[in-house]
This record gives sequence, structure tokens and C-alpha cells, in this order.
Amino acid sequence: MRLLPGSALWLLRHELRLFWFRLGGSGGKGPARRGPRVSAVLIAAVGAIVLHVFAWKLLSTTDGGAGMPPAAVLMTVTAVFVLIFSLMLSHAIKASIEVLFVRDDLDLLLSSPLPSRSIFVVRLGAIVIGTAAMYLFLLTPFAHVGALLGQPRWMAIYPVVLAAAAIAASGGMLLSLGLVRLMGVRRTRVVAQVLGALIGAVFFLLSQLYGNAGAALQSRVARWIKLHAAASGVLGSDSALWLPARATLGAPLPLLAVALFGLAAFWLTAQTTHGFFVRGLQQVVSQPRGATRRLGTPRQRFGMSLSATVIAKEWRLIARDPQLISQVLLQLLYLLPLCFVLVFKTDAVLPGLGASLVFLGMSLTTSLAWLIIAAEEAPDLLRASPASLIKVARAKLAAAVAPALLLLAAPLAWVAWRAPAAALLLAACVAGGAISAGLIVQWSAVPAARGDFQRRARGNVLSTFLEFGTGMVWSGLSWTALSWLHAAPHTPPPALSATLLCLALLALMALAWTRREKTA
Amino acid sequence: MDDHHESSPALRLRGLCKQFGKPAVDQLDLTVQQGELYALLGPNGAGKTTTLRMVAGLLAPDAGTIEVLGVDLAAAPRLAKQAIAYLPDEPMLYAKLKPGEYLEFVAGLWGVDGASAAARAEKLLDWLDLSQHADELIEGFSRGMKQKLVLAGALIHEPRLLILDEPLTGLDAAAARQVKDLLLQHTRNGGTVVITTHILEVAERMADRIGIIQGGRLIAEGTLAQLRGQAGAGAADGATLEDVFLQLTGQA
Repeated sequence: MRLLPGSALWLLRHELRLFWFRLGGSGGKGPARRGPRVSAVLIAAVGAIVLHVFAWKLLSTTDGGAGMPPAAVLMTVTAVFVLIFSLMLSHAIKASIEVLFVRDDLDLLLSSPLPSRSIFVVRLGAIVIGTAAMYLFLLTPFAHVGALLGQPRWMAIYPVVLAAAAIAASGGMLLSLGLVRLMGVRRTRVVAQVLGALIGAVFFLLSQLYGNAGAALQSRVARWIKLHAAASGVLGSDSALWLPARATLGAPLPLLAVALFGLAAFWLTAQTTHGFFVRGLQQVVSQPRGATRRLGTPRQRFGMSLSATVIAKEWRLIARDPQLISQVLLQLLYLLPLCFVLVFKTDAVLPGLGASLVFLGMSLTTSLAWLIIAAEEAPDLLRASPASLIKVARAKLAAAVAPALLLLAAPLAWVAWRAPAAALLLAACVAGGAISAGLIVQWSAVPAARGDFQRRARGNVLSTFLEFGTGMVWSGLSWTALSWLHAAPHTPPPALSATLLCLALLALMALAWTRREKTA
Repeated sequence: MDDHHESSPALRLRGLCKQFGKPAVDQLDLTVQQGELYALLGPNGAGKTTTLRMVAGLLAPDAGTIEVLGVDLAAAPRLAKQAIAYLPDEPMLYAKLKPGEYLEFVAGLWGVDGASAAARAEKLLDWLDLSQHADELIEGFSRGMKQKLVLAGALIHEPRLLILDEPLTGLDAAAARQVKDLLLQHTRNGGTVVITTHILEVAERMADRIGIIQGGRLIAEGTLAQLRGQAGAGAADGATLEDVFLQLTGQA
């Protein structure tokens, strides 16, 4: 199809082409390449077939009955819709921040005679497509199979997902622009990042809170739902609350309402905020990038040991990057519910909880180690210096491991108060896990720029596998040890599983070690 | 090192080779005496940067030896590196550090003792007009400020051999003058400077000797007058370095 150069559609095609090219990731080893690998396309195709088969199995057993579905079905569909929408909104906020602040080719586009409104509309449209893509992939098999089985109402999935993505994209963009207006560019990046992640995690946090809330509260909630689920109640099947669910299930009027609402949100956002989009961008351009930032009187301490010098430098660099801190600390969001559990049910859940703490400590260490080791900004300076590279590497490892240990010291202290022997075991696993997580990064990570933090897993599958594998093994070890301690002395020590886990750990570490030569 | 290598050349390369598929540096022999300012010139892709990176210990040569003030770089890398400061064309800096903290880090890498490093850092920052920016992050610096800070980092450990790859790229006139003054000052104090540059006037005016490499080999070397002689009939007495360079590299 020939599109008029400079038109919005022409620009959209350009954006989509770039999106496709970037799917394969960038950098890494091997010849330059664009677009996803053939293997990735094949895997996606197999995944799509499996999803279609799954949908067939599911839908061929239902009668596809028309009429009003019962409240329980509406409630379930609504829950799924809300979950997906919260994830979409989380994604859209992150994507809006990218569009607003990552300049890439925006200077080129804005300096061209293209109307800036088209640029904004296309960028917003790209967010909608990016937000919808995964859910279209996962959910549309139901639409296709439904249509084949004579249940065409499943086709509603298409407009509902696209409308939800449009609403999420508009919401994300409005929120980001609002934050820029409210608190300026620099803080917006951090706050929006945290907000995005919180929204994405809110379902998990709420379900954890509910799950740990105790039987009394749970039964009260169940009673409340039962009370209001009567036909005329707030949760009755006529309630407006179920509009998205009814649209998803193919009811014509609700479907029309949701689709129109999505279109209106997109159109209004594009119309009303495009001017501020341009002004917001100008703010970014004119931002002095730290030139006027006064950070207080500098304090240097010349003459520290090499290790102290390296650790001081690494911690300064991390402490001054609020965006990175927010990304790293967001992982700890998931620590919160674990802590609720720990406080209320220490004895019963200690093995599982200990395993989770070990895994979290390792994942925090992995992130920090990646920033400190793989994303070293001046590797040539280190290699050109007479400093011992082994000592530098050790200091970097210490800089990466220490924060996780400090952070987990509080829950460990709680466990030590309740069960000293278990705490000792757990502390050993936390420390061992954190150190091996740091070593894995040191041996197997590929050098990269700090800005690539969120994309670090791309193009380094082995490293990701090693990180995850050692995390599982250490968690397994702590779980095994703590379970045994809990049951002792009535059961014999779990020699076989402990040995197997130790062997697996050794194998993973050895595999990482072999990668060392290439990256050292 | 000072005792037994006082008379050794600052830098001696013998039979240096490096291949990246095809030879980048090919049997390169080169000697730079102490106190000299030596300009290494060559067309793009001639092997200048590869040579300098090998001297700085960042690349291992395939064959040949590198001696820094009489110390074999391969045999005693830490001793040899102690005397070198290397400045690549892209400054090796940390965006989120302040200038003083950067100097503290470099001084730590080279093991400079605290008191003298602190005094020297203050002096260098003053001299390079960076003191007023002491509490700003490096990411906000201009190209010239960054280049000057890297130079301060290089000088904080008082290297005897300064190796600079295109040190004047992107500098304004004032910053370029400061850098040139600093390099001349370094040689006056007995230090040695090896630079590569595409600005031939700089080499013509500043260098004691000039080496021209092409295809990884040294094809001519000497003072400007000696190079004119090597260029032969094509280069008259008044010929500039540019004329001589183009003549010698066959681009005239």
C-alpha cells in the first residue's frame, strides 16, 4: 500500500516497522540483525496454535448460550478485566514516559514539516498497539474459535481489548503529562515509574493482603458480596458495574458503549494534550541535565584503600540515579506481603518464607551487580590503571551484595528472635545466595549501558537462566533446610534432596565460570 | 623504576602486530624518548588507536613487545601502567560523579597517597577552571569541561608518559589552548607525550617529532624538515605538514 509521505498513516507505518525491527533486541554478539529471530517467530506461532487448541477445548464444551449470564460469571469476567486493565495501565504509563522523555528520533520528527499533532497521535496510537498486543495474542484465539463454533459474540474480544488499551494509553499519557505539570520533568520520571509498577502490582498486593487477612475478615467479605449480589443489589446482574464484562461477553449495547468510550478517550487525549506534549518536550530539551543542580559541598576522601574507593564510587553512582533506585526497589514491593505473613505466622510458614527471602535478596543483588559490573561506565579506565583487577572485581561484588544483606537484616533479626537456629541457617542461605548471584553476573553478564537496565535480559538468555536457576536452587536449599529443622528430630535429614540441590548449584556456578573468560 | 630506567626511552615498540581479521598494526617499530612530544599521524583506519590501546594495556598484541620506561608491559603490567595515563577520544567518565569524586576515584586506582592527591586535585581543578563546578554532576558538563576533567584525572597520578587519542576534538579555542599549554608544560617538566590528531597544524607547531603510520606500519618519522626530505621531490622546503602528509600517504 502506498501511503502519502508525511501523513499520519505513513508515520504510523514507520513506527510499526521500527517496533518490529526492535523486537529482536539490540547489541549482543553476532552479526547486526533486525526483527525477531526465526526461532522466536516459530515459538510464537506454536504458542498461538496451542492457545487456539486450548480455546477449542474450552468453548466446544459450552453451549454458547445467549441470554444474561449469571452474576458469578460477570464477577469473574470483571475481575479478569480489571486485572488486565491494571496491567495495561501500568504498561501505558511506562510507555508514555518513554514517549515523553526518550528523545530518540523526536528531534528529527519535530524539526520536520510534519504537524506535531500527527506525531502525537501516532505516538499515542503506538502506545495503544503496544499495550494491546500481548492481550490480543492471548485472548483472540477465543474470538477465532468462538466464531468457528458459531458463537460470534466472542469476537467482542477484539474491540474490548483495543478499547481498553486506548483508555489505558490515554490514562497513562494524561497521568504522565499531569505529573510533569505538577512536579516537573525529573521527578515525574521516578514517580510515574513507581506508580506504574504499583498499579501493576496492586492486584497481587491486594490478593496477598486478603489471603493473609484471617478467616473472620474473609467471611465478612463473602457475606457482603452475597448480600449485594441479589438481582437488585449493587452487585446484581443488572448493575452497571458489569458493563465491561457484558461488553466482553458480546452484549451489543455495552460493547458499543465500551468501544465508543475508548475512541472518545483517545480522541480527547490527542486533541487536548497535544500542545502540552510539545511544551512538555520543550521542557525536557531545555532541562539543564544537572548543570544547575547543587548537591551541597562536595566531600572527598582521598587516600582510601582501593576497595573503599571502588565501593564509594559505586554507591554514589547508584544513589544519584533515583530512576534506577526506583526500578530496583520496586522488586522489594513484593517483599511487603511476605513480611505481613512473617509477622503473623512465623512458625508455620518459615520454610516457604525463608525461600522467598533468599530469592528476593538474590534478585536485588543481581540488579545491583548488573549496574555495578556490567554497566561500568569507564571499563577502560579500570583496565588502564595499575590497580589489581581482581581487587576491583571483589570490591564491586561487595558493593553489590552488601545492600541486600543490610535490607534482609531486619526480617532475619525477627526470625532470630523467634527461632535462632533457623535464623542461622537462613542467614547462611541469604549470604550464599547473594554472593553467588553477584558472581553469576560478574562471570556471565555482557557489558552494557546503564540505560539498558530494564532491557538487560534481552540477548543474554544464558545469563538470565543462570540467575534464575541459582535463585531457585538456593531457595530450594533454604526451604529444605528450614523444613527439616521444623520437623526435627522426628525426621531424618533430607540428605538426598540437599545433595542434589548442591550438585545443581555447583553445575550452574561451573557453567557461569566457563563464561568468565569471554567477558573478563 | 626511576633508578634503573632513567636513560630508557619513554616508549619502545618492537615488531608490534595486531590483527582484526586483517592486520591493523603490522610489525610496528617505534621509539619515543623521554621529554619528547611525539605526534602519531595517519589516515583513518591506519592503526593509530589500536596502537595506543595496546600501549595502554587495553588490547593484547598478537606479537611484539611494548616497553614503557624500560619496563616490559607484558611482563610487569602494573609497574608499566603506573607510569602511564591514557586518554581515549571518548572521555572515560562517570555521569553521576562530581569532579572531585572522579579525581578521588582515579587517584585511588593509581594508589596515590591521600594528602598529595587532595592537594593536587585542588590545584588541577583550579588551573582548569573547574573549581566553580565542583559541586555539579559531570553529566551536565560541556565537551570541553569533560575533556579538561579527564586530563586532570590523568595528571593526578603524575604520569611520566601521557598518551592522548585526539585530545582536541570538539574543544573550543580557549579549552584547546589550555590543553595544548598543559601538554607542553608536561614535556618541559620532563614528561613524555604521545598524541594522535587530525589537526595537522597542531602536530606541526607542537611536536618534537612526528610519526606517520599507514596500513599499521610506520612509513615516515622525524622532524618536519626530516619528513620533507623523506617525502622527496614532491615536498618543497616551504611545504606544510599537510602537504608532506598527503604526499607520504599517497593522497596528494
